[in-house]
Amino acid sequence: MEVQAEPELDADIAEIGRSLARRGHSAAALKRVPQERGLNLVGRDPKVRAALLQLVDVAPACENAADLAGHLNSYLGQVGDSGGRPVAIAAGAARVPGTRALTGQAARVAINRMAHRFIVGATPEQAAGELRLMWSHGNAISVDLLGEATLTEAEGAAYADRCDRALSTLALDARGWRANPLLESDAAGPLPRANLSVKVTALTPLVRPQAPGRGQRDAAEHLRRLLRTAAEAGAHLHVDMESMDSREMVFEMLLSILAEDEFRSGPSAGLVLQAYLRDSEEMLDEIIGWASRTERASPLTVRLVKGAYWDQEHIEAIQHGWVPPVWSEKADSDRCFERITRRLIDAFPLVRPAIASHNLRSLAHAIAYSRHRLLGIGDLELQVLRGLGDDLAEALARDGYRARVYSPVGDLVSGMAYLVRRLLENTSNDSFLADRAAGADLDSLLASP
Amino acid sequence: MTSAVLDDPMTQFTNEPVRELRRAPERARLEEALAELDRRLPIAVPVTIGARVRDEPSFDSVDPSDPGRIVARATAATSREVEGAVRVAAEAQREWGARPAIERARAMSRAAGELRERRAELAALAVRECAKPWSQADADVCEAIDFLEFYARGALALDAASPLIQMPGERNTLRHRARGVAAVIAPWNFPLAILAGMTAAALVTGNAVCVKPAEQSPACGLAVVEALRQGGVPDGVIALLPGDGAVGGALVEDPAVHTIAFTGSGAVGLEILRKAASPAAGQRHLKRVIAEMGGKNCVIVDADADLDEVIPALLDSAFAFAGQKCSAASRTLVHERIADELLDRMRGALHTLRVGPAEDFETDVPPVIDPDARARIESALADLGPGSEIERAAVPAGPGYWVAPTIVAGAPADSGVVTSELFGPVLTIEPVAGVDAACEIVDGLGQALTGGLFSRDPATIERVAARTPVGNFYVNRATTGAMPGRQPFGGNRLSGMGFKAGGDEYLLQFVDALVITENTVRHGLPIE
Ligand SMILES: Cc1cc2nc3c(=O)[nH]c(=O)nc-3n(C[C@H](O)[C@H](O)[C@H](O)COP(=O)(O)OP(=O)(O)OC[C@H]3O[C@@H](n4cnc5c(N)ncnc54)[C@H](O)[C@@H]3O)c2cc1C
Repeated sequence: MEVQAEPELDADIAEIGRSLARRGHSAAALKRVPQERGLNLVGRDPKVRAALLQLVDVAPACENAADLAGHLNSYLGQVGDSGGRPVAIAAGAARVPGTRALTGQAARVAINRMAHRFIVGATPEQAAGELRLMWSHGNAISVDLLGEATLTEAEGAAYADRCDRALSTLALDARGWRANPLLESDAAGPLPRANLSVKVTALTPLVRPQAPGRGQRDAAEHLRRLLRTAAEAGAHLHVDMESMDSREMVFEMLLSILAEDEFRSGPSAGLVLQAYLRDSEEMLDEIIGWASRTERASPLTVRLVKGAYWDQEHIEAIQHGWVPPVWSEKADSDRCFERITRRLIDAFPLVRPAIASHNLRSLAHAIAYSRHRLLGIGDLELQVLRGLGDDLAEALARDGYRARVYSPVGDLVSGMAYLVRRLLENTSNDSFLADRAAGADLDSLLASP
Repeated sequence: MTSAVLDDPMTQFTNEPVRELRRAPERARLEEALAELDRRLPIAVPVTIGARVRDEPSFDSVDPSDPGRIVARATAATSREVEGAVRVAAEAQREWGARPAIERARAMSRAAGELRERRAELAALAVRECAKPWSQADADVCEAIDFLEFYARGALALDAASPLIQMPGERNTLRHRARGVAAVIAPWNFPLAILAGMTAAALVTGNAVCVKPAEQSPACGLAVVEALRQGGVPDGVIALLPGDGAVGGALVEDPAVHTIAFTGSGAVGLEILRKAASPAAGQRHLKRVIAEMGGKNCVIVDADADLDEVIPALLDSAFAFAGQKCSAASRTLVHERIADELLDRMRGALHTLRVGPAEDFETDVPPVIDPDARARIESALADLGPGSEIERAAVPAGPGYWVAPTIVAGAPADSGVVTSELFGPVLTIEPVAGVDAACEIVDGLGQALTGGLFSRDPATIERVAARTPVGNFYVNRATTGAMPGRQPFGGNRLSGMGFKAGGDEYLLQFVDALVITENTVRHGLPIE
C-alpha cells in the first residue's frame, strides 16, 4: 500500500528544500523578522498562548479600549505565574484604572498589526495596491473574502454580491499588471490572473450535515452566478474546502455544476483536497474519474492541502464516539500528502496540481517529483498563505517557480475567526512552521515523513 | 453491533455513539429501517402484567407528521388491572430484590444490548410515534442504552460501597435495599430514554416496576419493556400499563406503591406530590416521589458574545424538536448593546428553519406532539398584546400538527409567553441592561432547570455560574443534549425534586438504607 518516494528523489528534495530555505533580503522579509519573534514568544507557554488567542478573538466585540483591557485582565488572570514578567506587567497595567485604557489601546494596536500581516486589506479596492506589488514581485494571487458566519439568506446573498463584485474588480485591476508568462500559462493553456477563492458555507445559511441537498439547492444559484461572472471576466474561481460537515454538500455540488453544459467552456475553476482525511485518496479517485469523464475547456485545478480543521474534526469525533475522519498522526497526513502529490502530478494535464503548504519538505517533494516526471517548471503550481508563507513565496519566485499567495481581504471583525485559526496553526505543536521557528535542523525537517 | 454485556462488570461506562448522519450510508440505513417499520404498523400495545397479556385496543397513537397514520393500537389498563399489576409486582419483587446486584446489573446491560441491536428500528419508531427528527430520535435510543449501562454500573458501585467508620469491637455495615414497587410515569418527549432511565434505576436496585408510558407513545414504552424482559427481567417484575392520566393517578394512589418516578408537567407533578403525601389507610410507608418538571429556561447573552455562535446555538436550543424538551431555551436575555443586532439576525435566521415531517432529513423543526399542544401554544401567542413583535417561520401544507417557529420581541413581562413553559417552538428576545440585570430576572423565576450564558469573559462566566439557581448551566453552547454520566440532568426549585438523572446519586432514591452495627466483643474479647 505504502508507496515510498523513489530514493533518488531524496537528494533532489534536500537540494530544493535548502535553496528554498534561504531567507530573502528584501525590505519586506526583513520587516517580518521581529513580528515572527513576537509570535514565537507567544507560542512557548500554552496558557499565554490561550490568553492571547482569546484576546484576539474577543477584540472586535469589545466596546472600547477599557473593555478590551478588562478582558485582557481576565485572561491573564488564568495564566497565573507561568507567564513570567511580561505577563505580570501587562496584567498589572490592565487592572489599574489609570493605565487600563492605555493598555487596551496598546493591545488593539498590536492586534491590528498582527491582523495586517495576514489580511491584505479591508476591501478589494483597498487591497489593489498590495496585490499589484505581490504580482510584480513574481507571485500569483488568489483573493479570499473574509466574512462573518452566514446565518440568514440575506447574508448569503450579500456575500455572493461581494464575491461577484470582487471578481470584476480584480479582473479589471489585473489587466494593468505587468506580463509574467510563468504566472499566466502552463502546458495545459492560459491561467487567469484574477483568481478568487470562495467558501460555500458563506453563500448559504442552509448547511445541514445530514441534508446536503438543502445547502446545495440554495448555494447552487449563487455559485452559477459567480461562475458566469468569472467566465465573462476571464477569472479563475476556486472553491475552498471546509469541515466534514459540509464536505459532501460542497464536493457533489461543485462537480455537478462544473459539468453543466453552460460551464464547459469556462471559467477555469478548482477545488480543494484535504490530505488529512483518511479517505482523501478515494476522493482523488472520484475527482480523477470525474475529470476523465468531463470535457471542459480548462482542466480542473486541484489544490492539495493538509487541512485546516484538524482539532475541530478530532474533538468533534471524539465527543461523539466516532472514528475521526482525520489521521491521528501528523506523519500520516504528511505521507498521504506526498502520495496524492505524486498522483496529481502524474495526472497532469487532466487536472492541474496546486500544492499548498508551508512545509518545505512537502513543497520540495512536489517539485522534485514533477522534475522527475519531466513536467515543465510552470506545470506545477505551489501555493502559500499570506502572512505564513511570505518568505517561501519570495524564495519560490526567486527560484523560478509559480507560487500563488492566498490573500484574505476583509475587515478586522470578519477576519477574526481566520486570524485565530492562523495564529493557532503558527503556534501549534504539530506544525512545520513552529518546528522551524523553534530551530529544528533543516536536514531533519526535510527528511521523508 | 456487539453488546457490551457486563462480562467484566467494571468496564468503564462510555456513552453510546450517535450515528454519523453526515455520511450518506448511515442515512440510507435509517430510511430502510423506517420503510420496514411502516410495513409493520400499527403496533399492538397490550396491557402486560406478569405472563398475562390483554390486547383489546382502546386508544391509538398517531404520527404527528401525518396523523392519519396510526402507529400503535394500545389497550388502556383499567383501575382493577392497575391494582392487580401492583400486587403481582410486589410479589415478584421479593425474589428479584434478593438477587445479587450483579445479576440485575447484567440484565440491564443485556437489555441495552437488545436496544443496540434494534437501534435503527427504534429510532424509526420515535420518528413515527413522537415526530422526533432523525438525529434526535437516534440520540434518544442512545440515551436509553446509556441509562441502562450507566445505572448497571452504578448499582454495582452502590452495592460495593461501605463508607462507614469502623472501631475496634464494633462492625458497622451499610446496606441498600430496594424499596418495593416503583411506578414509572413517563413522558413522550424522550419516549425511550427517560422511560428506560427511570425504569432501569428502579429495577437495577431491586424494585419491581409498573410502567405507564405517555398515552402519545405507548409503542416506544413497549419496546423498552420488551428489551428489559429479553435482557432477563422476570415477567412479574415489570408490568406495562398503557393509558392516560387515570392510569397514572391509580398508580400514584395505590397503597402498595413505594416510589413514584415521574417526568412531565409541573401541574401533574405537584398533583402527584400532593397525593403521595397522605398515606392511605393501612399504608405502612411513605411514598417517595422523584419528579422532573420542566423549566422556563433563559439564555443570557453578554455584549462580548460572538453572535456567529450564539445564533446557531439559540436556534438549536429553542427550535430543535419544536422546543419540546424540558431543557429547551425559551427566553433570551441579551445585553442591550447588541440586542438589536441579535434580534435582526435571529429573525433572518428563523426563516432558514424548515418545518416538516420528522422523517425528512431536511426538516429542522417537526410538528408538535398533538392538537392540544398546538392549541395551547397558539393561544399563548394570540394573547400577546399589540406591543409585541412576532416573527414566524413558514409551515408546510398538510395535516401535520405544525407550529411555526416563533420569535417574540417586546412581550409584556406578565404574558404567558414570558412566564409559563409553552413546550413549543417559541423564543422571546428581551434586552437587559447587563448580565447582572439578567441574573436578577433568572433569580426571580420559580423554575430553575437549565440556563445558558454566552460570554467571552472568564470572570463573567464565574460570576453568573456562582449565582445561577438552575440545575444545568451551559456556557457558550446550546442548552440541550445532556448525556448520562457526562451531564447529570435535573432542575432545582419548582423544576423538580430528586437527584440528577444520569448522575451518581440517582439510584439512592430507589433504595432504603440499612445500617447494621454489631458488637463484636464478648467478655472483653474480640470475636471477629
Ligand atoms: C494556499 C492555501 C490554501 C489553503 N486552503 C485550504 C482549504 O481550502 N481548506 C483547508 O482545510 N485548508 C486549507 N489550507 C490550510 C492547510 O490545510 C493547512 O492547514 C496549512 O497549510 C498547514 O499545513 P502545512 O503543510 O503548511 O504545514 P505542516 O506543519 O506540515 O502541517 C500541519 C498540518 O498537519 C495536519 N496535522 C496536524 N496535526 C496532526 C495530527 N496529529 N494528525 C494528523 N494530521 C495532523 C493538519 O492538517 C495541520 O494543518 C490552505 C493552505 C494554503 C497554503
